[in-house]
Amino acid sequence: MSSHIPLQLTMSLQTCWRCLSKTSKPPLFSLQHPLQSWLLLPATIAPFTTSASLAKQIVNSPKVPKKKKENNVLKVATGFRKKSKKPTDVGKGRRPAPGERKALRKRVVLSNTNALEVHGLQDIDAESMMNESFRGQVLGIPGRIVDRLRAVEAFKVPQGWALFRRPAMLMRKETLDFGREVEGIARDEKKKSIRRVYVGERGSGKSLMLLQAMTMAFLKDWVVINIPNAQDLISAQTEYGPVPDTTPTLYAQRNYTATLLSTIARSNPSLTDLQLTQPTNLSDIPIPIPPNISLARLASIGSSDPEIAWPIFQVLLSELKKPSRPPLMFCLDGLAHIMCDTRYIAPPEYKPIHAHDFTIIKSFLDHLSGAENLPNGGAILAATSNSNNPVIPSLDLALSQLRGNQTVERDPFAKYDERVLGVFNKGGVEVQTIGGITKEDARALMEYWAKSGVCRQRVDEGFVGEKWTLSGGGVVGELERAVIRMRV
Amino acid sequence: MVFILGTNFNEARLVRKTLQSFYGVGPQVCARLLARLYIHPTARLGSLNSQTVLDITSILSEMKIENDLRRELRENISRLKSMGTYRGKRHAMGLPVRGQNTRNQTNSAKKLNRVERIG
Repeated sequence: MSSHIPLQLTMSLQTCWRCLSKTSKPPLFSLQHPLQSWLLLPATIAPFTTSASLAKQIVNSPKVPKKKKENNVLKVATGFRKKSKKPTDVGKGRRPAPGERKALRKRVVLSNTNALEVHGLQDIDAESMMNESFRGQVLGIPGRIVDRLRAVEAFKVPQGWALFRRPAMLMRKETLDFGREVEGIARDEKKKSIRRVYVGERGSGKSLMLLQAMTMAFLKDWVVINIPNAQDLISAQTEYGPVPDTTPTLYAQRNYTATLLSTIARSNPSLTDLQLTQPTNLSDIPIPIPPNISLARLASIGSSDPEIAWPIFQVLLSELKKPSRPPLMFCLDGLAHIMCDTRYIAPPEYKPIHAHDFTIIKSFLDHLSGAENLPNGGAILAATSNSNNPVIPSLDLALSQLRGNQTVERDPFAKYDERVLGVFNKGGVEVQTIGGITKEDARALMEYWAKSGVCRQRVDEGFVGEKWTLSGGGVVGELERAVIRMRV
Repeated sequence: MVFILGTNFNEARLVRKTLQSFYGVGPQVCARLLARLYIHPTARLGSLNSQTVLDITSILSEMKIENDLRRELRENISRLKSMGTYRGKRHAMGLPVRGQNTRNQTNSAKKLNRVERIG
């Protein structure tokens, strides 16, 4: 058998017998002995070593790999132990401080240094806000007004202020109309007051209309009180308590009122020039208020002590209604929120408190409905929201009737709140629908965007027409989404 | 630290969670208690004035909570046991009381049902 295999191989490979014998041996050997012995043998010392020195080396040499092995084993073991230790804080990061995340969430960025500066951008002033020649133009908001608007929280986070070098606004038809009305109130002897609710679809610019109105009020040195988000008043996130000696019981929000007073003092520098005319009643305000202090000082006293914030707010409002005071603007965003039950609960029934039982809300609605008037004129403005609003059938009914749809009938299955309907029953409340902007206005806006570097496309008739149509007929929010924010 | 009914609590703690930490005060009782004192649901202990904290303590001390409530529970069970009722026996045996099957899954009963019930 052993001779047969080499013969076959010689025929195929044509090598010498010597080589073949060598190549043929291992497989034959492997057949006779198991492979295991071969694998295990090299580790052992050959007993028949001839050289003593070599033997010595060999005897000594296994210690080295053994040591190495031990070392390796040890290393592995120590490494493993290290891994099992509790990981250190590396990479874990610092926990955000209390309020830090909220501050980041609520942060409003009004300037972007990466945006191009628009050359020739005019600032809005008391003249241009009613000048029809500025129709369809974008005007910048002056820095001092920006600070005041920021103080009253007129800028909202989702609005795209952070895309531009500085805040600017489009002079649309509604803006100029309001500007003329503001001018009319300043000139008019009768001191008319505007009571208006802005409605319109989502992104149509209702909140921005409030911002524009407040800008104009600041330009004309009116006193502005703004409630930036009505939901804050009803969501049971701020302190509340009953006002003594009120039937039915009214509830005051001390901390919110104090913050509001602080905002009023910061955003209306004209209050420093107005003085308190009559001494305050000690039964209303438990601490003595020095006479002849400025109204700004009065507001800051109220803001520093929440316990007396509401009485001070009342005094401030009554002082602002005295003769030869500037007109007052009272704005509120998110009207539907104050037309329903709040999340607050009160004894003895332990039922939710109606929003109209809260003092600030009541004060606003009294002015809106006309129960309280503004002798010096002014504007009471409210805006509805379509992205965050509870379903209030009574408000929808009242607003649709005020818009002229007298044929709207009550839904037999809906629950109507007479208190809500009562706000609008007295009449005098206008409902203004903010719709889409015209194509000319849209073009002006897009050109401004192009000059700011946020719109890269060429602004021509076709592009404007396409985007205007895509945005549902010039709904500004949708237009911004289609032109600035959407990347295809 | 705010001291309520013999316990110190951190000022950053929610009032709602603090009240509910007492045995016998759940969400319903807590909501009523908060409304009675005009405390909003997201208030923290640090925002309460000292008078409100005293009011909370006085109201809680009038209520049957904590050890008083636990004692009442134990008394009820021991009464059932002394009367020789089926429910008392089942409590003593650590088995389900209200007719549940006992082939498997009686963990809650094993854990809770005993004459000297913890709570």
